[in-house]
Amino acid sequence: MIRFALVGNPNCGKTSLFNRLTGARAKVANYPGVTVERRSGELTGLGQPAELIDLPGTYSLHVTSPDEQVARDIILGQMKGEAAPDVLVAVVDATNLRLGLRLVLELKILNMPMVLVLNQMDAARQRGISIDNAGLSQAVGLPVVDTVAVQRGGVEALLTELRRFAAAPPAPKSAAPAALLAREETVEVLYTRIQNLLADFVTQPATAPPWQDKLDSIVMHPVLGWGVLLGVLLLTFQAVFAWAAPLVDLIDAGMVMTGEFVGAHLPEGILKDFLVNGIIAGTGSVLVFLPQIIFLFLFILVLEDTGYLPRAAFLLDRPMRGVGLSGRSFIPMLSSFACAVPGIMATRTIQDPRERFITIMTAPLMTCSARLPVYALVIAAFIPERTVFGFLNLQGLTLFVLYIAGIISAALVAWLLRRRESREEFPLLLELPSYRWPMPYHVFLGLRERTMIFLKRVGTIILALSVLLWFLATYPHAPADATRAAIEYSYAGQLGLWMQPLFAPLGFNWQMCIALIPAMAAREVAVSALATVYAVGGDNVDAALGGLLAQSWSLPVALAYLAWFVYAPQCISTIAVVRRETNSLAATAFFTAYLFALAYFAAWVVYRLALMWT
Amino acid sequence: MAHTPTTALSTALSLDLCQKGDRLRIVDLVAQPRFGAQDEQVTLRLKELGFLPGSHLLVIGFGLLGHDPLAVQVNGTKFALRRAEAAKILVERMQMEGKP
Repeated sequence: MIRFALVGNPNCGKTSLFNRLTGARAKVANYPGVTVERRSGELTGLGQPAELIDLPGTYSLHVTSPDEQVARDIILGQMKGEAAPDVLVAVVDATNLRLGLRLVLELKILNMPMVLVLNQMDAARQRGISIDNAGLSQAVGLPVVDTVAVQRGGVEALLTELRRFAAAPPAPKSAAPAALLAREETVEVLYTRIQNLLADFVTQPATAPPWQDKLDSIVMHPVLGWGVLLGVLLLTFQAVFAWAAPLVDLIDAGMVMTGEFVGAHLPEGILKDFLVNGIIAGTGSVLVFLPQIIFLFLFILVLEDTGYLPRAAFLLDRPMRGVGLSGRSFIPMLSSFACAVPGIMATRTIQDPRERFITIMTAPLMTCSARLPVYALVIAAFIPERTVFGFLNLQGLTLFVLYIAGIISAALVAWLLRRRESREEFPLLLELPSYRWPMPYHVFLGLRERTMIFLKRVGTIILALSVLLWFLATYPHAPADATRAAIEYSYAGQLGLWMQPLFAPLGFNWQMCIALIPAMAAREVAVSALATVYAVGGDNVDAALGGLLAQSWSLPVALAYLAWFVYAPQCISTIAVVRRETNSLAATAFFTAYLFALAYFAAWVVYRLALMWT
Repeated sequence: MAHTPTTALSTALSLDLCQKGDRLRIVDLVAQPRFGAQDEQVTLRLKELGFLPGSHLLVIGFGLLGHDPLAVQVNGTKFALRRAEAAKILVERMQMEGKP
């Protein structure tokens, strides 16, 4: 099998190109040994099996961050368990030729089979840039093709070129790739060469489109820019809570109907109890949050695609530096709103090891999408649906406050962690790429991937835990002379009652304690656990879970439960990824302990304060 | 904190002292002690990104607090730099044609 690797600067449209070439056949996995995501996909129609690997973006083979290191190691064949690719597909943003060509000329020194791709040619042509491909190809000694990753037929020329490589695979290299040249001397030589290439083969107007600069003068304005940033974040939260609501109600109604249908057509007995209370109540209660998760990822994917995020990082650099982070930590932090696992992986772009450590430690304080079901359930049950300040929905506002609580806590923790170190500074040096329209196909693939991951979780972990919990909540049956509710005699009831004293200072009842255990696998399982426990324990199976909670919890308890979920490291996958990324048992133990301590403390404070208030 | 050039480049100033809208030409890259041992790496990375002596540079804007970081455009590409990096870059103002 012939293996191609996409290599290029960050923001050159590499990943859109990857999606366009591999479409639905992309696989995300990890490189053995290290935890860097390895995106690869099968390339069809080349006449023989071929694989395409998407390498992390890099400016240079002289690396400054962990993800650039991965790109370099794979190109040079120094990654353990991963042979060097057969052919490099060097991607250059045609609107940003100089920077991209520098990397290409550096790669050229390695003397590997390579094709030069001028991506985003549509945007380049619009700007009046025209490139003499044949001349450029001859001058650099590489095949040169145009691509427009955002268009369906935009990669035909590249596929033709790849077919040629596939038909006559380059001979496996006998020797190691040529050594890198001394960096000091090459940098100016390469730029002189690029200057000549641009002069000979490229006509480009001196300026970028004026709307880009105008947009920047607002988005990066010291005052207006903050308005834009706040507006974007508020819009995201409103969408997640308000716009997704009709879809949530639809799925909810569907699940209730399914439960009633099954309930009406099955004879009374253990099977009916298992299906209705175990499976449908358990998985259904989590499934209803799919629309909210899709909306959240939609916003993050679109923001990623437009080029806005580095601008936000620019605005946030100074405030984040106040707590020892930098604008570079912003993107991992933002990803953590979706899920802390990719967020923590995204810290590889941070050059400063200490800053990277602090970002890993605090990223899970960003409210991830798995917490949404828990928040949404409790908020809907306890916070009245009212309009405050004329336009804000009180429920949406509560959600916003929970997000803010996580952010402020992260800032405080980061500040405390940084205080101990006095250290040398690391540069920011962040490229602010051109704005571009998000590519619908790219966003669609991203959403599909996230939806599949979520549904897979519902179908596996959440289903399995629901069944387990149903079993624990049903057996052993109550004795004939039972004086208390049947569930209190079950294993789950016993376990909950045993845990309850530990959480009594926080006001948690034993049902809440039970839900905390399976939530370690995934936070949203807390919702299905509560559903199962209350469904098995209660007489009224059909009542919505929110209504049951509103009857059995007091407001201070509900708020304390929310506070617990803001902090608790309730997710084994996050702890595992911290272990892998820090490669330190001590750091992982610290991470777990400090978050549990913080969760307990915060829930206690909230409970006490709310008791005084009400 | 500003670098006073000890060479004959009397018109050169460091980038962190420039104003929004300034059109500049890079004269040299100098050492920044705050980057410690990795200062040389920072210099090379700056050069790789196109901050080479002779390149033209435009100051686009500043962050809210302490005019930090700053956004510049070099060879058509925009970058955000902190003052610490900007202080490494010695520039001279370009002659304006009729503009203030």
